[in-house]
Amino acid sequence: MVAPVTPKSWYLPSKPHKFCPGCGHGIVLKALGENIDELGIQNKIIFGCDIGCSLLSWNFFACDSTQTHHGRTTPVMVGIKRSRPELITVGYMGDGGGYSIGSQHLLNSAVRNEKVTLILVNNVNYGMTGGQMAPTTLPGQKTETTPYGRDPELTGYPTKGPEFISTLTSDGAYVARATVSKYMQLKRFIRNALRNQLEGNGFSFVEVLSTCPTNWRTNAQQTWHFLEDEMEKFFPVGEIKSPFGKGEKTNVAD
Amino acid sequence: MKVIGFSRQDSFGLGETGAMLNPQARWILRHEGDIIMDVGYGVHGARTLNLVEGADESPELKVLAVVNYTRPMTNSPARIIDFLTGLGRVDGIIANTHLGDETTLEIVCQGNRMIRDTVRQLGMDVMYAAVDQKFSNIIKPGDCEIPLKLIERYMPNAIW
Amino acid sequence: MDKVIGETKKAFLTGNETVAWAALAAGAEIMFGYPITPQNEVMHYWTRMAPKYNRNFLQTEDELSAGFTTCGAVQAGRKAFTATAGPGNVLMQEPFGMAEAMRLPLVAVIQQRGGPSSGTVVYSQQEVTLTTFGGNGEGMRIVYSTATHQEIYDYTIKAFNVAWKHRFPTFVLGDGYQAKMREPMEMYDPEDKGIEMVAPYPLIGLGGEIGAEREPAHLCNIYSLEEELYEVVLKHAAEFEALSPSIVEWTEGECDDADIIVVSHGVVSRAADDAVKALRAQGIKASYFRPITLRPFPQQALRNAIARSGAKKLLVAESAYGQLERLIKQEIYGETIKIETLFNPGVGIIDYDIISKVKSVL
Repeated sequence: MVAPVTPKSWYLPSKPHKFCPGCGHGIVLKALGENIDELGIQNKIIFGCDIGCSLLSWNFFACDSTQTHHGRTTPVMVGIKRSRPELITVGYMGDGGGYSIGSQHLLNSAVRNEKVTLILVNNVNYGMTGGQMAPTTLPGQKTETTPYGRDPELTGYPTKGPEFISTLTSDGAYVARATVSKYMQLKRFIRNALRNQLEGNGFSFVEVLSTCPTNWRTNAQQTWHFLEDEMEKFFPVGEIKSPFGKGEKTNVAD
Repeated sequence: MKVIGFSRQDSFGLGETGAMLNPQARWILRHEGDIIMDVGYGVHGARTLNLVEGADESPELKVLAVVNYTRPMTNSPARIIDFLTGLGRVDGIIANTHLGDETTLEIVCQGNRMIRDTVRQLGMDVMYAAVDQKFSNIIKPGDCEIPLKLIERYMPNAIW
Repeated sequence: MDKVIGETKKAFLTGNETVAWAALAAGAEIMFGYPITPQNEVMHYWTRMAPKYNRNFLQTEDELSAGFTTCGAVQAGRKAFTATAGPGNVLMQEPFGMAEAMRLPLVAVIQQRGGPSSGTVVYSQQEVTLTTFGGNGEGMRIVYSTATHQEIYDYTIKAFNVAWKHRFPTFVLGDGYQAKMREPMEMYDPEDKGIEMVAPYPLIGLGGEIGAEREPAHLCNIYSLEEELYEVVLKHAAEFEALSPSIVEWTEGECDDADIIVVSHGVVSRAADDAVKALRAQGIKASYFRPITLRPFPQQALRNAIARSGAKKLLVAESAYGQLERLIKQEIYGETIKIETLFNPGVGIIDYDIISKVKSVL
C-alpha cells in the first residue's frame, strides 16, 4: 500500500486535521509544508494564523506558531520580523481577516515593503462564523448577511486583493494569486513567496482561491465548478509582480 | 443511539456550533440502520444536503420540514409559505408548535391547525405533530385532528 | 412607521432573534455590524426582515467601522444600532468613546463571550468592566444587564428611548447563552403597551438655509484648553448623575431580614433566585439583589438592602473574575459588610453552586 507522503514540517499529533471535507485549506497547507521541507527552513519558520477557519492551523505545523486576533496576523508577523530578521515569518489568513478587518494592516505593510510572507485563503465567505458575506463574495451570491444575493450597488464589487496590493508595493515585492485547482502552480507561487523573503527582497503576498463546500452548500462537482468556472473567471490567476523574471500568468490579461 | 458530530473539545475555539462539517456526517448515508440528520438553519435551506454523499440518489431519504407556529419566521400562513418555498426540496411537514415551558393544548392545536391548513394549500399535508412527552398529560392522541408523536428528550439540560 | 408585530403574541425564539425583532419594533432604521460569535444571528435575522420593513443594513469591514458608522447615522438623525461581542467590543470602545463625548444616542447590544482576547465563543460575564467603563472617558453610559428573552426584547426597545431622550450611549448587555438558547416571550409593538417611542432628530444635516436661516452645526470631541474639557466633562457628569435616580433598575427579594445577600446580574441572577428560594426552604436566611442597570448602578438600593436586612455577608456570584465585585465595591464604598465571592470566569453558575457556596460561608 502506498501511503500519502506527509510533509516533515507537519505536526502529526494534530492530524487528522479538523478542516471540513472538501476544504481547500488542506491543499494550501500541504503546498506550504512541502516548500518548508524542500527549503529546509522548518526551524526558522514562524507561522501566524488569524481568526476564522485559518485558526484551525494553529498547531498544524511542527514549527513555532502563534495564533493572533482577527485581522492582526500581518502586524504580529511584522513585529516578529522587525525584531528577529533571521526568522521566516509566514502569516496565514482568510479573505475576511485579510481584506476586511485586516486590510489596513495588509496595505500599510505592502507600502512599507515589509519582508514578511502572507498567504491569504479566499473562499468568498466568512466560513467559521457560519457563512456571512466577505469582501470577495461574488455578485448575486447568497450568504447569511446577503440572503437575497450580494447587490454590488449596495455593497460594491468583490475585492481584488493582489491587484490593489501590487500597486502599493515597491521593487522587490512578490504578489500572486494561485488556486487550489492547480496544485503545482500553487506550490511554485508559495515557493517564490518564501524565496522572496529568504533573499530579503521585500513584501510577499499570495492569495489562494479555495473551496468551502460547507458554506457554499455544494457537492463535489458543484464545488469545483464554482471554483474553476466562477471564481477563477472573476479573480485572474497568475503572478502579478515578481522579482524573479516576467512572472507566470494563467488567465491574466496582459 | 449513536451521535455523529464533533465533541465540544474537538471544536476548538470556533465560530459557531456546527459550522464545521464532520467527515462522518458527510458519508452518513453509507451507514446501516435508521439515520436522522438534523439540518439547522441557514439561507441555503435544503441545499445543505449537497454536503451529504448520495443524498440525491437515496430512495429512502426524506426531507422533513419542522415548523413551530410560535417562531416569528413561521407565525402566519404567508410566512410559512415563504419559509417552505425558500427551503427547496420538502417531502413532508412535521408540526412542532410549542412554547417551551409555557406550552398549552390551545397553543399546540391552534398553531398546528394553521400549519396543516397552510401546507394543504401547497398540496402537502402534516405527517404528525411532535410534542415533548412531558406534556402528555395535556395533549392526547387525536387532539387537534393530527397524528401525535411524543418526543423523549435525551439532552434535557442542553440549553439550545 | 408601520406596526411590525401586529397583534401582541407569544413567541419561541433565540435571544439574538429577539434583539432583531425588538429593534424592528422599536423603529430602528439601520443596523451596522460585523460577524463575531455569538451575536451573528442578530444580523442574519435583521438582513432577512429589513427589506420587508424598509430598513437598512451594512456589514462593515470591522467593528471599528460598525461603531463609527452607527455614530454617523445617529448624528444624521436615524435610529441606528450595532451588536458585538468580545474582541469586537474591545474595538468598539473607540467609537463608543466618541458617542460618550458627543452625547450620541447610540444603541449597542453586547453578547458576552469568554475573555480576554479570543477566550471562548460561548459565554461569560467578563465584559462588564469594558461595557460600563471601557474607552478613555468616565463611563457616561447606560448599561442594562438582561436575564431573560423578555427582558432582551423590553430593554432593547427601552434602550432606543433612553438613548434618544437622554443622549448617553445605551447598551443591552447579554451573553452567549442568552443569544443562543430558546425560550418563550411576548412580542409586541410598543404602542400596544402604551410605550411612546421617542422620535429621532438630526444633529447635522438640519435642513434650512445656512446663513439665512441658521448657523452651521459644528460638532467636535476635542478641545484646545484643559479648562474647556473640564467644563464639558463636569456638565455631562452632572446630567448623568441627575438622571441616575430615574434610570436605575434592580430587583431584590427577601431583603427584609437576611444573613447573606447574594448579588448577581444577568442570567446568573436566575440561578440566584432559585438558590435563595431553596435556601429559605431549608431555613437559611438568604436573600438576593440583582442590579439591572450596571450603569448607573443602583448603589443606594443596595445600601438600603444591606441596612434593612441586617446581613453580615454579601456573596457576589459572577461568571467573571471580579468585574461585578469591583463595581459593587466602588459603588458601596464605606459599607463594612464582608464580601464573599463565587467567581466562575467564562463558566455558567447554577443554583446548586450558589447554595453550596452560601452554606460554606455562613
